[in-house]
Amino acid sequence: MDSSSSNDHHHQQKEVTANWMNMENGGAADKGGSSCKEIWSTGKTAQIVSSSMVRKKSDPVLVPSNARFRLFRQFLANLQEVVLGTKLAVLFPAIPLAIVADSYKFGRPWIFALSLLGLTPLAERVSFLTEQIAYFTGPTVGGLLNATCGNATELIIALFALYQKKINVLKYSLLGSILSNLLLVLGSSLLCGGLANLRKEQRYDRKQADVNSLLLLLGLLCHMLPLMFRYASSSTPGIFNADSTLQLSRASSIVMLVSYIAYIFFQLKTHRQIFESQEEDEEEEEEKAVIGFWSAFSWLVGMTVIIAVLSEYVVGTIEAASESWGISVSFISIILLPIVGNAAEHAGSVIFAFKNKLDISLGVALGSATQISMFVVPSCVIIAWIMGISMDLDFSLLQTGCLAFSIIITAFTLQDGTSHYMKGVVLCLCYIVIAACFFVDKIPQNAVNAGGTPSSRVLAA
Amino acid sequence: MASTMTEPWLLENGNLKGLSREITRHGRTAHNMSSSSLRKKSDLTLVSKVRWGCLRLLLTNIQEVILGTKLSVLFPAIPLAIVAHHFGFGRPWIFALSMLGLTPLAERVSFLTEQIAYFTGPTVGGLLNATCGNATELIIAIFALSHHKIDVVKYSLLGSILSNLLLVLGTSLLCGGIANLKKEQKYDRRQADVNSTLLLLALLCHVLPLLFRYAGGASAALTADANLQLSRASSIVMLISYVAYIIFQLVTHRQLFEAQEDSEDDDDATSEEVAVIGFWSGFAWLVGMTVVIAILSEFVVGTIEDASESWGISDISLGVALGSATQIAVFVVPLSVIVSWIMGIKMDLNFDIIETGSLAISIIVTAFTLQDGTSHYLKGLVLLFCYVVIGACFFILKSPLNRANVVDLGLKSSTEAIFRA
Repeated sequence: MDSSSSNDHHHQQKEVTANWMNMENGGAADKGGSSCKEIWSTGKTAQIVSSSMVRKKSDPVLVPSNARFRLFRQFLANLQEVVLGTKLAVLFPAIPLAIVADSYKFGRPWIFALSLLGLTPLAERVSFLTEQIAYFTGPTVGGLLNATCGNATELIIALFALYQKKINVLKYSLLGSILSNLLLVLGSSLLCGGLANLRKEQRYDRKQADVNSLLLLLGLLCHMLPLMFRYASSSTPGIFNADSTLQLSRASSIVMLVSYIAYIFFQLKTHRQIFESQEEDEEEEEEKAVIGFWSAFSWLVGMTVIIAVLSEYVVGTIEAASESWGISVSFISIILLPIVGNAAEHAGSVIFAFKNKLDISLGVALGSATQISMFVVPSCVIIAWIMGISMDLDFSLLQTGCLAFSIIITAFTLQDGTSHYMKGVVLCLCYIVIAACFFVDKIPQNAVNAGGTPSSRVLAA
Repeated sequence: MASTMTEPWLLENGNLKGLSREITRHGRTAHNMSSSSLRKKSDLTLVSKVRWGCLRLLLTNIQEVILGTKLSVLFPAIPLAIVAHHFGFGRPWIFALSMLGLTPLAERVSFLTEQIAYFTGPTVGGLLNATCGNATELIIAIFALSHHKIDVVKYSLLGSILSNLLLVLGTSLLCGGIANLKKEQKYDRRQADVNSTLLLLALLCHVLPLLFRYAGGASAALTADANLQLSRASSIVMLISYVAYIIFQLVTHRQLFEAQEDSEDDDDATSEEVAVIGFWSGFAWLVGMTVVIAILSEFVVGTIEDASESWGISDISLGVALGSATQIAVFVVPLSVIVSWIMGIKMDLNFDIIETGSLAISIIVTAFTLQDGTSHYLKGLVLLFCYVVIGACFFILKSPLNRANVVDLGLKSSTEAIFRA
């Protein structure tokens, strides 16, 4: 949040009053070239824009300009752009530490904590790299890439949890991601934005919020039906019941994916202006690609591998960490994991709210929640189907209730196109109450849903 | 009244005329505005004939406080209730008389806090008004707690919320809609939105313990303790939200809540802007009233079960009748939980499924009704009918009170109760 030394140190600041809030786009007005503007408005989603807020301009002076070999120099510049280009880079040392801790058989809670720390900057870097690639692929493919990779970390963690048959961890972490986006990210954005712009009117385009609310409600229906199905037919034998719940879940997942495709089509093709109005005064100085296509691609592959390794550690050690810290698995995976996964977006969203650009904050929080709910969750169900694992959409009663409540209260909050800090306060407090609920929830997880028992702790290396 | 301004008894507050207008704009909440419409102008010509200044002052005071409301015909019920208690009358009678006596007292307390608010300045006054607006509910709740009647507390507070949301609002919208059939009825929906979101937060705090209990399944002993912790944490969160709401209402977004008073500056309002009694006499009256309310509350709480038995209606419907929504939901309820925590009583936020369901439907229906900033009589009618249905449901629900604390999965006992009726 304290991104005071932002990315424009080579701009002269004419305004003496320029605090960090208007520093960041201080020199944007006179720089916005028309070509860059076009790229801006096509490739990026609000989510990407948001996480870009925690980036800093890397200083190319550091790279030895007298280095002989051009290739080497290019490599160094590349490295600097990718590794040091974020303020979260201080957390990168956690990655080798996590790997060392794992190979020297340190305590499992340590591996868990270090992996979690290491994932934070990686999540931001992946969105940076997809954005870089989007410069080369054109608007549609780029938008698609951005929309898909925006929650790459969550997806990879989910896939590993699925691979290790920890269905509950998978469900919890995805649910937690939706909750934290809807309540925590949105709530703290509205709260900080409301306090910073106490005297100004805070407006946003409610059409965008409406589309997202609708999709979230559809997702909610798909989660509620299997639950109600189970409760309604509790008298009939369980095997028949579980089987039809599974079929229902798979059909629902296909419907959700179809609706997500329609949403992407709506967002990128037919109704682009709804999602674009937010970006009109957002031209910053990052409009050209700073690294080449292939290097970006190879970095992306490398990062994905690292994320995969860390995700595997996280998923493999979550129960050990839960035991040694005395915190339930549901609290760790619903509350702690998503905070880490969303840290970069969260900070960006709050910063945009500070500048009274609520459209982008809403785009981040709601867009991300919609994406997880309508894309990541059904994809997991389909992938599980392919892998022959029976995963359904039936979260337990408590979790579904929390999800329903978050969606309804968010939809209510965003009904009129204005905002004030009280809305943020209420959303944040809702999150605290839900967090408290899962904190005291010490019910053993496999008693609730016997879908996948964590029998074997598969751990590589 | 302006003509008698020169009388000495008004010197105590007559010189406030200039200031008071400003103060009214800050100090009053909608709650006070509403109950003030029940007041009547007291005719002071009778009193002004009395010779002695001190006595005249006292008489004026009494007249202002006791006779200043149209509900004052109900005041005789208070001594009757006390007499009935002393002579050992039937308990249902004590209950009925105490209930009748509480009605004007609740209005008078808000009158007195408003009077005191004239002297304390806008912020303290606003705080006082916001807090004492539901003083009666709070006192009844604390007395019920000291008698360990946790279910009475829960049901009376729930009833207050329901009756405010559905009955009061529904009647207002219905009558307003019929009276202004040809006119457009508009209101500022931002204020309604703030209240709706706070009510939704309160609802979440009630729904989570319920879901928690159901999700816990067989392990009842395990969840009861966790439930209590959760309820206490939720109560603290709700109190925080109430503090934020007060700040929002009185300090940062005052204009949102003031807009409602613009149209109120008619002839009726102008005459009410001076404080009619002094600070200390107002304070003394307030203390006295609180004592009387406390006594009556004790009667009510002590006799509620007998009354319920002899009248053949359930406690819940009495609880609904006890009611005077946001304030109760996010202030009185969590405060009761905290107070019972201090007193070592295990009160949680866990209502039963039928109560929580009614609360949820009421809040959601109200929030939807107030979405578009306009009103017509059909909205009022729907809200009223919701109240009637919920009232009917509780009327036939004659299950024992302590059922709520026992973990019983499923609705079996309640459905049986319905058929039995």
